[in-house]
Amino acid sequence: MSRMPLPLWVAARYLRSSRRDAFITFLSLTAAGGIALGVAALILALAALSGFQSALKEEVLSRTPQIEIELPAGADPEAARKAVQSIDEVRSAQVVIRGGGWLLARGRSRAVEVVGYGAGLPELFPEATSRSSGLYLGDGLANLWGLQPGDVVEIVSPVPTLTPVGPQPRVRRLPVVGTFEAGRAEQEDRLALPLTEASMLFGASAVHRLVVDCGDLDVALGVAGRLPAVLPAESTVRTWRDLNRVLFFALRLEKTLMFIAVFLIVVVAGMSLVSDLTLILASKRPEVGMLGAMGAPPSSLRQIFLWLGALLVGLGAVIGLTLGVGGSWLLDRYELLALPSQVYFLDHVPFLVRARDVLAIVGTTVILTFSCSFYAAHRAASLWPVEALRR
Amino acid sequence: MSVSIRVRGVQKAYRDGERRVQVLNGLDLEVQAGEFVAIVGPSGCGKSTLLHLLGALDIPDAGTIEVGGQGLADMGPRRLAAFRNRTIGFVFQFQELLGDFSALENVMLPGRIAGKSSAWAQKRAQGLLEEVGLQDRLDHFPSQLSGGERQRVALCRALFMEPPLLLADEPTGNLDPESGVQVFDLMLDLQERHGTTALVVTHNPDLANRCGRLLALEGGKLHAGRC
Repeated sequence: MSRMPLPLWVAARYLRSSRRDAFITFLSLTAAGGIALGVAALILALAALSGFQSALKEEVLSRTPQIEIELPAGADPEAARKAVQSIDEVRSAQVVIRGGGWLLARGRSRAVEVVGYGAGLPELFPEATSRSSGLYLGDGLANLWGLQPGDVVEIVSPVPTLTPVGPQPRVRRLPVVGTFEAGRAEQEDRLALPLTEASMLFGASAVHRLVVDCGDLDVALGVAGRLPAVLPAESTVRTWRDLNRVLFFALRLEKTLMFIAVFLIVVVAGMSLVSDLTLILASKRPEVGMLGAMGAPPSSLRQIFLWLGALLVGLGAVIGLTLGVGGSWLLDRYELLALPSQVYFLDHVPFLVRARDVLAIVGTTVILTFSCSFYAAHRAASLWPVEALRR
Repeated sequence: MSVSIRVRGVQKAYRDGERRVQVLNGLDLEVQAGEFVAIVGPSGCGKSTLLHLLGALDIPDAGTIEVGGQGLADMGPRRLAAFRNRTIGFVFQFQELLGDFSALENVMLPGRIAGKSSAWAQKRAQGLLEEVGLQDRLDHFPSQLSGGERQRVALCRALFMEPPLLLADEPTGNLDPESGVQVFDLMLDLQERHGTTALVVTHNPDLANRCGRLLALEGGKLHAGRC
């Protein structure tokens, strides 16, 4: 015999009262199923987004300096580099020059971003075929133009040299040393060459920058705050977060909008729960009246329907949680959703379940749907026994 | 255990669309502790309304009701609920058993509402059901019981808390004559043994004549009656 509190005992019986009220059981299952569907859909949708965003962030950040410092005109880049390098957490600091230019080879031309590097090819050019000093092209462009190591190409600078016969373009003829993994399409038109070559292309007006690697992204954020103290005045420090602010904002916005859109399923399930509990109350009205006649106080009658709502919400949330988390794991583990790797930078849809997303989903779902139980609970509590018993 | 009842000038009216129906009109009633009173009268004369008022299920428009010296008008909803739980046992024509609970669980319900332990309530409910011959029907649900059996379960439930006042609204109205007599015999027997004050509304003159006192409700007032 049950030792449960009376309201929970009655609610649990109403939940499985399938013997006589098949329709109400169907409605209860629909309400719980709606909640389960909503929770599962939310978890799956956010896990897919998190997976994509995580991969995208990884992709972007692997090609973004953790810290980039723009030095003011006239500053000594090497002195600044040494000053930055002296900070304990800094693993490496390199002087670079960035600017636009054109790549010419085999009768073709293309606008490119030219990065001049100091000591060695920086880490933001991943998967390079070698790390020795020289010209590196993105693998996409190299493949497209059929360029191999040793092939000579021309790089033209938009900064002209003034000669007695007028301005002349600055051109460097350099052999290709290797390629790096270009990644996303917009980064294909990027090439890296030694700093001395870049200085010749961009002249004395070139803006010198430092790219700083601290190993860890969070450490880099902390180090960035301390850099102005060791740098020349008017230096500009940007972290990986500043450099990708627009992208990260777009990713957050995308996730928020997705949450709101899919959460509408839960809202509909909440409405279904209201109608379900109201129908249960209508069908159990004489019984609720009899409980009142036997001395159950209004608070107990209220609690019966709050418990009933809580049981349905709990059932739906647990099923949804299991389906969502289990489904995400299966889809990710066995890479069940394939993508054409020629189009996307991934060959399957990655699913990443984040604990804070799951907490937010379950929390908001439980709060919203449980609050839907209050209407029926309030009506049960305000039922006057004689009205409920009247036939 | 039993209580006395004292009703003075009770009025109760209902709205039937635009029409106002005065059901009870200055009704007075005195019932001594331990009395078994039958109330008769035509349908719609207000018998059930009177029982609902005495059982604190409804409130009068005017007048006072005292049960065991306690004025019902002075109590708030929580106290009224506790009063119903400890002082009154109800038996209705349609039993109003909870369909998702077994016979035993239905009888236990007043005890669970009062916060009694599950083990104690089970033991007492089992004893009462055995007393009315339903020892083989403990785990049966109301839909598996006959009308007479359901009414016996309802009677056990009404007496579970040993209430000093039993109110029965046409307890045999929905039963075949034989089952009706059996249930009524049982009620008389239990009332006598438990010493409960009892008021029974009935349309059956034979059963009404077996009660200690017979009152007829006419014109919204009670009169000493005969069938």
